[in-house]
Amino acid sequence: MTGRNISWTRVDMPRRAFLKGATMLGMASVAGLSLPRAAFASGGTLKTRTYADIRSMDPAFSQGVVDEEIQAAIYNKLIQYKPGREWGWQPDAAAMIEQVDDTHINFALRDDIGFTNGFGAMTAEDVKFSFERIIDDALESTNKPDWGPLDHVKVTGERTGTIVLKNAFQPLWSITLPYIAGNIVSKAAFDSVGGKIDTQPVATSGPYLHAGWEPKQKTTLKRNPDWKGEPVAYDEIQIFHIDDEKAAEIAFEAGELDFTRVSLDSVERLKSSPIEGATLEEYPSLYYAWVGMNLDNPKLQNHKLRQAIQYAIDVPSIMAGAYFGAAEPSTGIIAPGLPGHREASLTGTSADLEKAQALMAESGETNVSLTIDVLNKSANVTAAQIIQANLAAIGIALEIRLHEGATFWELGSNEDLELVMNRFSMTPDPYYATSWFITEQAGIWNWERFRNEEFDKLHLAAQSESDQAKRAAMYARAQDLMEESGAYKFITHESTPVIYRNSVVPALRPDGLPLYRYFGAA
Amino acid sequence: MTDITLPKPRSELGEIFHHLIRDPLGLAGLIIVTLIVASALFAPWIAPYDPIALNIPDRLQSPNPAHLMGSDQLGRDTFSRVIWGGRVALQVALPTIAGAIAVGLILGMIAGYGPKWLDSLIVLFFDTVRSFPTVMFALAVVALVGPSLNTVILVIMVTSIPTYGRVVRTLTQSLKEAEFITAEKSLGASTARIMGIHIVPNVLGPLAVLAAMDIPTVVGLEAGLSFLGMGVKPPTPSWGSLLNDGYNLIRNTPWLIVAGGIPLILTTLGFTFLGEALRDVVDPKLRGKGGK
Repeated sequence: MTGRNISWTRVDMPRRAFLKGATMLGMASVAGLSLPRAAFASGGTLKTRTYADIRSMDPAFSQGVVDEEIQAAIYNKLIQYKPGREWGWQPDAAAMIEQVDDTHINFALRDDIGFTNGFGAMTAEDVKFSFERIIDDALESTNKPDWGPLDHVKVTGERTGTIVLKNAFQPLWSITLPYIAGNIVSKAAFDSVGGKIDTQPVATSGPYLHAGWEPKQKTTLKRNPDWKGEPVAYDEIQIFHIDDEKAAEIAFEAGELDFTRVSLDSVERLKSSPIEGATLEEYPSLYYAWVGMNLDNPKLQNHKLRQAIQYAIDVPSIMAGAYFGAAEPSTGIIAPGLPGHREASLTGTSADLEKAQALMAESGETNVSLTIDVLNKSANVTAAQIIQANLAAIGIALEIRLHEGATFWELGSNEDLELVMNRFSMTPDPYYATSWFITEQAGIWNWERFRNEEFDKLHLAAQSESDQAKRAAMYARAQDLMEESGAYKFITHESTPVIYRNSVVPALRPDGLPLYRYFGAA
Repeated sequence: MTDITLPKPRSELGEIFHHLIRDPLGLAGLIIVTLIVASALFAPWIAPYDPIALNIPDRLQSPNPAHLMGSDQLGRDTFSRVIWGGRVALQVALPTIAGAIAVGLILGMIAGYGPKWLDSLIVLFFDTVRSFPTVMFALAVVALVGPSLNTVILVIMVTSIPTYGRVVRTLTQSLKEAEFITAEKSLGASTARIMGIHIVPNVLGPLAVLAAMDIPTVVGLEAGLSFLGMGVKPPTPSWGSLLNDGYNLIRNTPWLIVAGGIPLILTTLGFTFLGEALRDVVDPKLRGKGGK
């Protein structure tokens, strides 16, 4: 598969060069040297699709990519993700942004961005309000962890300020500023409605306006006539809520959609019988799927038994049967291209039955019967059946328990949980991956109840480590610890196949997620 | 004087069978049902492969001499899974219907023969159970206790009890006013004797018809729950889970949908034909009109 590796262009730089680069990029923007963009046709409607309905248009309560795909188009951030095959960022509302030391980031806003509905020009006070409200305990923002050690934002002028951190925070440039928590909202607009909004924005500033939302149907964005930045390509973007990828594929083939993600099992078919006038592209995904084992469960106290399970699971079979060869086995929770990605896992990807059987014999366990809890999705159910067959080969009877989303996502607090097939979303910084497996998260998102002091220390230290090689080594070691516990068998990062009409020039993140504000028309 | 030789009278079952095979639809139903039941009973000998054995390199094959109905995404032989799926369908349908008839018979007779207050109480129970849409009730229970074959059987059985109970109640109410029952009472027959000797045999015929018509519904419900992942647990083959796999892979192969759909259609047709023919036989008024 081509183009599978991803890399984060900024974090690979030496720190000094990075600081210089950040400043230079900002200065270039000030000087009016906008980044090269393709000359797109303009006008018309882009019809696209999202897999879930929106939850909130408030960045403090946004629930992830579904909300962010819209927020990134209607709000501005200091910086935005740069479309392409490599992770990177580009200025948005920032005319200048500069990391002066580990804990201080100076910024200057462009002077041509204003909020809708008469809420005036964007100011540094709006930036301060937007960022500090997320860390305000009183607000109970679900996205507070994204802001890590933010202390405060110091306003130094109408459009200038300094972000002050309590300590160095490496994910700032990869998952804080260019993602959900980096969206800038209007202080005056939020004050006018009591400080909080739900699904209806009060004032926006981006190149598109939030023109309507029909629950469970679609969200409509319209060109913002007052937008002074780089012109956008479409008069209107219609984002339809279509949960089922198969249904989305049919809609695409019927001409009802211009862009959609397709299911992994369709890739082979779409490659052998391409749709006329459309292009299929595969992007590596950051998601990580794994089989977890609850370390607190009395049935899983035997370390040798857990290791036997790790060695018995044949990941290549899962890739072929459940993912139709469209995904690769993973080595951990950190995808290729991100700091800390391991080239190989400790237990390998192919099953080692001889070793698994030897470990079973060493464990002294006989007549073992276990359960695996699985979200009722085709790939998961198929994967679970392969795992069931794998474990049967070493004498373990595995019962598959299927769950709908509502019951599955409540399983974390279930102390009787045994094995679970799980899948988490991810952002382009390893900090986001290890966050869920620290001791504090046991029984919340750490369903394996994995508790390891060294892991917790590594997680804390790595978020501030500016030496990228050292930081990568820390995250690699953290994943070793997870695997050594016997509680994890890593399966895959999946992949993101997308299809789009040739009349569209898609602008996608390196993991295949859309950045609608940068979409063009051919 | 001429001797007249009377034909040897048939037994009641023989009479029913005789009428069934003379009715084309009844005969068709009987043949289909016999085939389905036989294939389920003899599944280990008929199915060419282990229905749960994985063979991933052979996945998603179209029908061929080695795999008559092709193979699924895990390389399992679809024909073998269809045959074994029939066993699951009957494992659900037969105990469910039998249990619902048994409980419905008892409650229906008590309601029809007992005092008014007890009748009202039992009818209230029937109405309460019936007020839940069966599928929604099944989904709720399965979501709470988890999917399994036993859960499916229990849920469908409970929701089917009122259907049989109400029929038995109505029949009992009309029978208890009949002259032969009044005569039995005047001779001092006990309630248990009246119910066991006189009422039960008279309600079993209509119940058998109802059961035959209900089996496809139960099979369909099991398939529906399995389609939604709420029925039998993987890797147990079921027609519903075949349909689910087929739905997910319909753009890759149509054969799984076909393989899951055909037995459901045949089961529905077979049991419906048989039920209708049985109804014609059991109801003397219809029998005289050729069942039409």
